[in-house]
Amino acid sequence: MYRAMIGPGHSACPGSSSESTLMPAPLEITAASKSFRTPEGGTITALDDVSFGLDGAEFVTLLGPSGCGKTTLLRTISGFEALDHGTIRLEGQDVTDWPSHKRPVNTVFQSYALFTHMPVSRNVGYALEIAGADKATIRRRVGEMLELVGLAGLENRRISQLSGGQKQRVALARALAGRPKLLLLDEPLSALDKNLRQKMQHELKSLQRELGIGFIFVTHDQGEALTMSDRIAVLAHGRIQQLGTPQALYRRPANLFTADFLGDSNLIPLVVAEGRGILPDGQSFTLNGAPRAGTLMLRPEDLTRTRRGEAGLTFKGVVAARYYSGKDFQIELDCPGTGRLLAVLRDDGAVPDTGAELTLHSATDALHVIEEVQP
Amino acid sequence: MSLRTRRTWSLLGLLTAPSAFLLCFFLCPLVLMLIYSFLTPGLYGGVEWEFFHLNYGRILGWADTKYERFDPVFLIIFLRSLRLAALTVLTCLVISYPAAFWISRMPPARRNFALFLVTLPFFVSLIVRLFAWVLILRPTGFLNQGLMGVGLTSEPLEFLYTDFAVVVGMTYVFIPFTFLPLYASIEKLDTAQIEASFDLGATRVQTFGKVILPATLPGIAAGAVITFIPALGNFIVPSVLGGAKVVMIGNLIEQQFLSARNWPFGSALAMLVMAAVLVLLIVQLRLARRQDVP
Ligand SMILES: Nc1ncnc2c1ncn2[C@@H]1O[C@H](COP(=O)(O)OP(=O)(O)O)[C@@H](O)[C@H]1O
Ligand SMILES: [Mg+2]
Repeated sequence: MYRAMIGPGHSACPGSSSESTLMPAPLEITAASKSFRTPEGGTITALDDVSFGLDGAEFVTLLGPSGCGKTTLLRTISGFEALDHGTIRLEGQDVTDWPSHKRPVNTVFQSYALFTHMPVSRNVGYALEIAGADKATIRRRVGEMLELVGLAGLENRRISQLSGGQKQRVALARALAGRPKLLLLDEPLSALDKNLRQKMQHELKSLQRELGIGFIFVTHDQGEALTMSDRIAVLAHGRIQQLGTPQALYRRPANLFTADFLGDSNLIPLVVAEGRGILPDGQSFTLNGAPRAGTLMLRPEDLTRTRRGEAGLTFKGVVAARYYSGKDFQIELDCPGTGRLLAVLRDDGAVPDTGAELTLHSATDALHVIEEVQP
Repeated sequence: MSLRTRRTWSLLGLLTAPSAFLLCFFLCPLVLMLIYSFLTPGLYGGVEWEFFHLNYGRILGWADTKYERFDPVFLIIFLRSLRLAALTVLTCLVISYPAAFWISRMPPARRNFALFLVTLPFFVSLIVRLFAWVLILRPTGFLNQGLMGVGLTSEPLEFLYTDFAVVVGMTYVFIPFTFLPLYASIEKLDTAQIEASFDLGATRVQTFGKVILPATLPGIAAGAVITFIPALGNFIVPSVLGGAKVVMIGNLIEQQFLSARNWPFGSALAMLVMAAVLVLLIVQLRLARRQDVP
């Protein structure tokens, strides 16, 4: 739905990695820390030694529960919060002490923060108006941007006459009109209803590819993060728990927090002996590497009714609950020794109901061991 | 009774008392004044029920009979009142704006205390407060002693009974009138919009001019009008702090009603003030409406 809009100032070949390796990284944060003083006199560590960056025109998502420091990280990049320690570089330049109006970075605010006393056109043209562009240039650019976000012709609308989705698009157009080097988006879709949100997810993603600039997108919705991102940074307690592609994070989470936060998972404690991981029910399998202890992660969709290959694990139990979700069933299986397992089975007309016995298998390649023990 | 008629009746019931009050104590006296301003003044006070236009002629220029002559002094006093009221509004705005900004950004407990302090002067009699200013401004007052003590002046300056004293007094009296509407609109100011402005490259000065000031303009206009109107007609401050030297239109009207006992002329002067206020309100409404249209 977005029209191609590649003007001067944008690199014309987004994603061409040969170019991005020559250029300095769009963003590089090193050892950033930030704490706040609470009114009661305590301190909250909002960012704890965060190092993080964009390698090129990437779509990176900051994912984490509410209060984990996502907004604070964005605000230190845009310059609204000063870091206690650490440095921020934009395209190789140290901007740690720059005021926000000098940084070539624009933000789409969670509350949109549109200027309510101005019509749509002046909102979108604000960055150019400030930069001293002439009227004709501003008018042309505003038209371009509104077309880009699918709001062509709404120049003269008042902000109060816009729907939530339209405000969202105006905020986006306004942030992009000044050709930022990097776009920051703080939970921009959280106020939209589900259908519109999904549509905007796809549009934002393709917009980022088209513009060829880095997007840093904040969300607490793991589905949204998995759909949109080139890379995801999982945050908890002001620390980056893991940074990687959606597939890497989903298939091979580095810690229990990431495993738990991204999608559903079965986490089974392991005892390690002689290079093998032993499950509570006595089954065991060969470990790669040599962890001293760990937890086995099994995604629900990796449990199948038919055995694939010779090796692998088998779980025998009683169906404790069965939920229908359209194309498949969610099963809760009570296994003696192992506990309750979550599985997703395709609706082939033979999925056993509550109380029935069921045996599930998992192939060896689906087993992922996290070197962390559940408390 | 249907819900709708019930609503109508309850609305009528609620509106009757205030409407009657306004009719008796506001509209009737006003119409009476308007009528009086076109009547002949009686020889020993009072009025004679005969149409007379020279009350206005004396102020505006066409009266040249033996008893009723045009005198420019009335217009001069009127213009001075406009000027002093405008100056008062300006000083009030300049003081209130940063104060309102500052208070609106305080933590809630301190903010409420500060707001209480702003309204505190209302708890003390106006006359007492004005005489305090006499003590400050008179030749042997605190201000002159302070100035001479620091060595800025060598002899007492004339502060009392000057325009300056009247503007200071009126600013002091009316500042809560400016402050409160201003505060209401500054408090509503969206901090995120200010940040958005910085984010899009604007400096502090640009942000103030393009975002903060326009967003608080309704509060500025409301505060200005609500201060200007009572300042224009005020007679207590100029009589205490302006004495015989700084006479405002309010003093003149008071004089006509109480000492000169020329009620029709006093009414005509009062109508002049009313007209000025009406013009002001119409301008403000126009401005407010223009702001609404994109
Ligand atoms: N200005 C502030 N003053 C005090 N504490 C703050 C401030 N901003 C954020 N915090 C605290 O820092 C932590 C991280 O906040 P934030 O970055 O907004 O989280 P998120 O956006 O991930 O929900 C929270 O505990 C929050 O209460
Ligand atoms: Mg947040």
